[in-house]
Amino acid sequence: MKENQEVLFGLYDDETELLEAVKQAKAEHLDIMDVYTPFPVHGLDPILGLEESRLHIAGFIFGALGTLTAFLFMTWVFTRDWPVIFGGKPYWSVPAFIPITFELTVLFAAIGMVVTFYTICGLGPGVTNPVLDERISDDKFCLAFQTNGASNDSINSLKGFLQRTGASEVHQKVI
Amino acid sequence: MSAVVSPIREPLITGNKTYHQITEDLCGPTEKAPNLAWIIAFIISIAFLTFGVFCIAWTIWFGIGSWDLNRTIGWGWDITNFVWWIGIGHAGTLISAILLLFRQKWRTGVNRAAEAMTIFAVLCAALFPGIHVGRAWVVFYFFPYPNTRGPLWPNFNSPLLWDLFAISTYFTVSLLFWYTGLVPDFASVRDRAKGFRKKIYNFVSFGWTGSAKHWQRWESLSLILAGIATPLVLSVHTIVSFDFATSVIPGWHTTIFPPYFVAGAIFSGFAMVLTLMLITRKILNLEDYITIAHIESMNKIILLTGTIVGVAYLTELFIAWYSGYIYEQFAFYNRVFGPYWWSYVGMMSCNVLSPQIFWSKKMRRNIFVTFVMSIFINIGMWFERFVIIATTLARDYLPSSWSWYDPTWVEIGIYLGTMGIFFTLYLLFTRVAPVVAAAEVKSILKTSGDQYAGKNAHSHGHGHGHGHHHETTHKVEYDDTADSAPLSAATPMPETKVEEVTEVVEENTMEKVVEESIGIIDDVEDDLKKIEGIGPKIEGLLKAGGFKTFAALAGADLDAIQKILDDAGPRYRIHDPATWSAQAKMAAEGRWEELQKWQDELDGGKE
Amino acid sequence: MNKQFTFEGKQKTTLIALMVLGLVCMVLTWFAGGQFAHERFWTNFLHNVAFFTGISFLAVFVYACKVLAYSGWHSAFKRVMEAISMFLPYGLVFMLIIIAGNYLGFHHLYHWTDAAAVEADPILKGKASFLNSNFYAIYTILVVGMWIIFAYKFRSLSLQEDEDGEDDNFTAYRRMKKWAAWFLPLGGFTSAGIIWLWIMSIDAHWYSTMFAWYTTASWLVSCVAIIILLLIYLKSKGYYSFVTQEHLHDLGKYLFGFSVFWTYLWFSQYMLIWYANVGEETVYFQDRIREFPVLFYGNLLINFVLPFLVLMRNDTKRKFGTLGFVAVAVLFGHWFDFFNMIKPGSLKAAQHGHGGHDGGHGSEGGHDHHGELLIQQGTEAKAQFMGGGGHEVAEHAAEAGSFFMGFDIPGLLEIGTFLGFGALFLFVVLSALAKAPLYPEFDPYIQESLHHEVEQHAPAEHH
Repeated sequence: MKENQEVLFGLYDDETELLEAVKQAKAEHLDIMDVYTPFPVHGLDPILGLEESRLHIAGFIFGALGTLTAFLFMTWVFTRDWPVIFGGKPYWSVPAFIPITFELTVLFAAIGMVVTFYTICGLGPGVTNPVLDERISDDKFCLAFQTNGASNDSINSLKGFLQRTGASEVHQKVI
Repeated sequence: MSAVVSPIREPLITGNKTYHQITEDLCGPTEKAPNLAWIIAFIISIAFLTFGVFCIAWTIWFGIGSWDLNRTIGWGWDITNFVWWIGIGHAGTLISAILLLFRQKWRTGVNRAAEAMTIFAVLCAALFPGIHVGRAWVVFYFFPYPNTRGPLWPNFNSPLLWDLFAISTYFTVSLLFWYTGLVPDFASVRDRAKGFRKKIYNFVSFGWTGSAKHWQRWESLSLILAGIATPLVLSVHTIVSFDFATSVIPGWHTTIFPPYFVAGAIFSGFAMVLTLMLITRKILNLEDYITIAHIESMNKIILLTGTIVGVAYLTELFIAWYSGYIYEQFAFYNRVFGPYWWSYVGMMSCNVLSPQIFWSKKMRRNIFVTFVMSIFINIGMWFERFVIIATTLARDYLPSSWSWYDPTWVEIGIYLGTMGIFFTLYLLFTRVAPVVAAAEVKSILKTSGDQYAGKNAHSHGHGHGHGHHHETTHKVEYDDTADSAPLSAATPMPETKVEEVTEVVEENTMEKVVEESIGIIDDVEDDLKKIEGIGPKIEGLLKAGGFKTFAALAGADLDAIQKILDDAGPRYRIHDPATWSAQAKMAAEGRWEELQKWQDELDGGKE
Repeated sequence: MNKQFTFEGKQKTTLIALMVLGLVCMVLTWFAGGQFAHERFWTNFLHNVAFFTGISFLAVFVYACKVLAYSGWHSAFKRVMEAISMFLPYGLVFMLIIIAGNYLGFHHLYHWTDAAAVEADPILKGKASFLNSNFYAIYTILVVGMWIIFAYKFRSLSLQEDEDGEDDNFTAYRRMKKWAAWFLPLGGFTSAGIIWLWIMSIDAHWYSTMFAWYTTASWLVSCVAIIILLLIYLKSKGYYSFVTQEHLHDLGKYLFGFSVFWTYLWFSQYMLIWYANVGEETVYFQDRIREFPVLFYGNLLINFVLPFLVLMRNDTKRKFGTLGFVAVAVLFGHWFDFFNMIKPGSLKAAQHGHGGHDGGHGSEGGHDHHGELLIQQGTEAKAQFMGGGGHEVAEHAAEAGSFFMGFDIPGLLEIGTFLGFGALFLFVVLSALAKAPLYPEFDPYIQESLHHEVEQHAPAEHH
């Protein structure tokens, strides 16, 4: 499916121009495919209407899993599986379990969140995603529209929109 | 990141950078062949590494007997080095995580390298517990796993096992944090590369495109990772301190150890960051990104943490006396006046006394002094661990077993070897990845670049009261016209033209931009202090008198200037403004070299 | 924008009424406070004075940190921090009463002021050059006096910014930075001694190197809670429109973060003492767990579990209701923490003072039997602490361990006294607040602070 995606995109030189353009596109109800920038642009998410990321929920769940794993496992080992007295302490020595419980909480949360992040973004080792323009990771700010099956008129009007809003370059690409 | 910046802040990016210039400067070093300094440093590092590997092999082959440890002093250089490296490994995550949470923007200049340093330092540290157990080939016994020795588990109540968990976790989380930050920058390198290089960077950049949704999640991830990494940093050195403090050894068992070890770790970590960054910024020409302002901030943290460590040292001494517990009292007497007194002196003078030099702003901003101090602190923090470990053990409860310890060549060799490992990895890192986080630097350019912030900015943000979006737009408007005017054509341009334009932008100096913008914005002011004979006070007078730019001053009447000076009082009357307008003319026309030459001939602005 | 706070008559009346309530409670404590009424009275006095004076000190300390760290976003409410620091002189005056009591013996807060007890106790004798009335007096006066000088200096320099007006050199701010740089180490070094003298020496034999930092963390959390509460209150009165949800969100993060930090210090101190199991040290927690369980566990519940669970979510830090609730709880919680630090030790001292040797059980009471007993007690304490054995000791404890209101838990009289002192504290703070504009117009960071925004939150809240 990806092979025949037709994309019309404009490159802007500055993030403020891009922000204005996205705002106008939204106002004109244009269907934005995506916006690509060299760095996270402050204030772009609300204009695009992106919902807040829910990664922290994943982090919480993984973290809680880590807490339980560590604490229950140590409890099981020292009260059921192989109880040993260390230094005259009770079998179930809660204060001594806290450091490892904490560490595993953090470890599970971090690994879980990072894996979730790359999975939901469709990124990962060896993944190749089409790059619209190689300068997007440098200093260009890109606003892209999908034009599959669009009429010449509508493509032209999109082109006009991009030029009107200050895009320094407008290109068409099939990816 | 609020877009409004106080006029009192210093810029964090100098040299009037554009986004493209930042990419050039930061990705460039990975694309060129290494210079001679790098090659020499690499050869030396590899030599140390090789010797270290040899000494480790020696230790494993002949056993721990090749070290000078004995029944009384069971921990010596091995654990000293372990704690020292772990401590150094703290600055990376601290800079990234805590400074991110506390909104200290200067972290962007140094976080990448500091995180790399963390990972390499933790690797070096992890080596020591592995070899000091003696039988390195069964080191996997550390880990809890279902085994054939009966269902026998490691002792989860032991601080040494806590340490294993803490350090593995810290290493893993630091690595994830660091790599996630690197992905967008690897994408930048990928998009500039050709051929096989492009394939490699395509693989490591994970298919990053810079999509808005990805950036949003990326920021969210960074922030949460920072949030959980902050207590993690605290926990790691806390648990290292538990290795000592849970015991009943006088001098080890003290409740202040956890926060005191953490402060010490931050202290030594920043010292090592400074050592590395001062060299890196010189070799890779990164002075515009790791500015004196960065160095000064780090020196302040050094002064602060050094003082905290000092408070802890004195607290320990005081409470040892206060406890009324004779063994505790003896332990501290022994530290200060015992046979290892020199290590205590080394610790106190390097860690507490010498950083006090940073009370002086001049010293904080002096690169040479900073470099020397960073080495001092590395030494001092090594002594601190030696004092805690070997000095304390050497004089235990039983005088008949008191002992003495000197490292053998094998122990010294392993320590030097870890230095080799550390620097080899760091040098390789500078070759393959941008040493400064390019995307993050770009994101603060509009607030902290020297064309926007600080005293040489185009205009001051002070006194306005509008929404910040508006403010940014305002600034950007004239910036655009000033330094990227040729780019504003709305039609697509051929590739070659872009290259051309890039060069133009590169040549653009600060002064040129100011000059070009004179005609566009009325309230632009020049730095009149560039004219010999004009100081800040007189600059103020002249500006108040309407001479705000070089151009205005160039066209000024000599009498008018003289009158301003006369009116200001006897202190100013003595100044001779005869050459000022001629100097200003050169400045206004951008003839800086000529002006410089003339100023060299002038004496205090007089002919 | 309402830039000037007016301290209204109605507010004054309410606060004065509360102060009267506090006074009545104190009088009631003195005359009808149960078996150890006078001890209860004086510990309540010391407890509240130490608590509020410390908060005031922390306000100066945080202020100095803000100045040195180039922190921008605090600027909008820096006048609140200044106002809190204005309580310090009152704290010193109250401490003078305690100091006088050390000499005149009208209270028995500190076991070490009892010359006969010190003479008979080698441990106390060893510490006598630090734990004595003269050093206590001189150190307290000099150190708190120095804090006061700094507090007033910061205040006057901040007001000077208003006077100077538009000043491109920020002269006042730059001078403030110099003072702040001096205050950090001076405040950091001296506060430890204050805590040892005022609080740790109540358990005169016991020691812990962590104690000073632990107590400071407790003050710090309370200080943040008070700042939050004042801002929410002032906003509800129509002031501080320029302090937004964003600022309170970040203050909420502080409240969360420092609560976790406090827990970290609590755990480190407790765990190390538990783990090493040295009798001289464990006795402190052993007493509290066995005889003051409400204090011991309550402390953790209010100061860790509650703020941790509630403030973990982002949105709770942005809702003034929830944030205010947690701030109140935590403020009370740290007052409770100080109660836990002060009361058990002084009850022992009181039992010793009143009942001779009968009251001792594994702690202060019996130390005049010299070191040997101390070691024996240490062993007993250890046995109890480990949860096994120690039968005799347990019985002994049960015999002496009747319930004392105002020591085992805070009674109504303690709550009333707390409200009284709190009202006085607020009275001082609000008076100071009324003396200068709330809006520091010429602070170099004020514009940044006005445009402060927390990254990463729901777009819905954004616009």
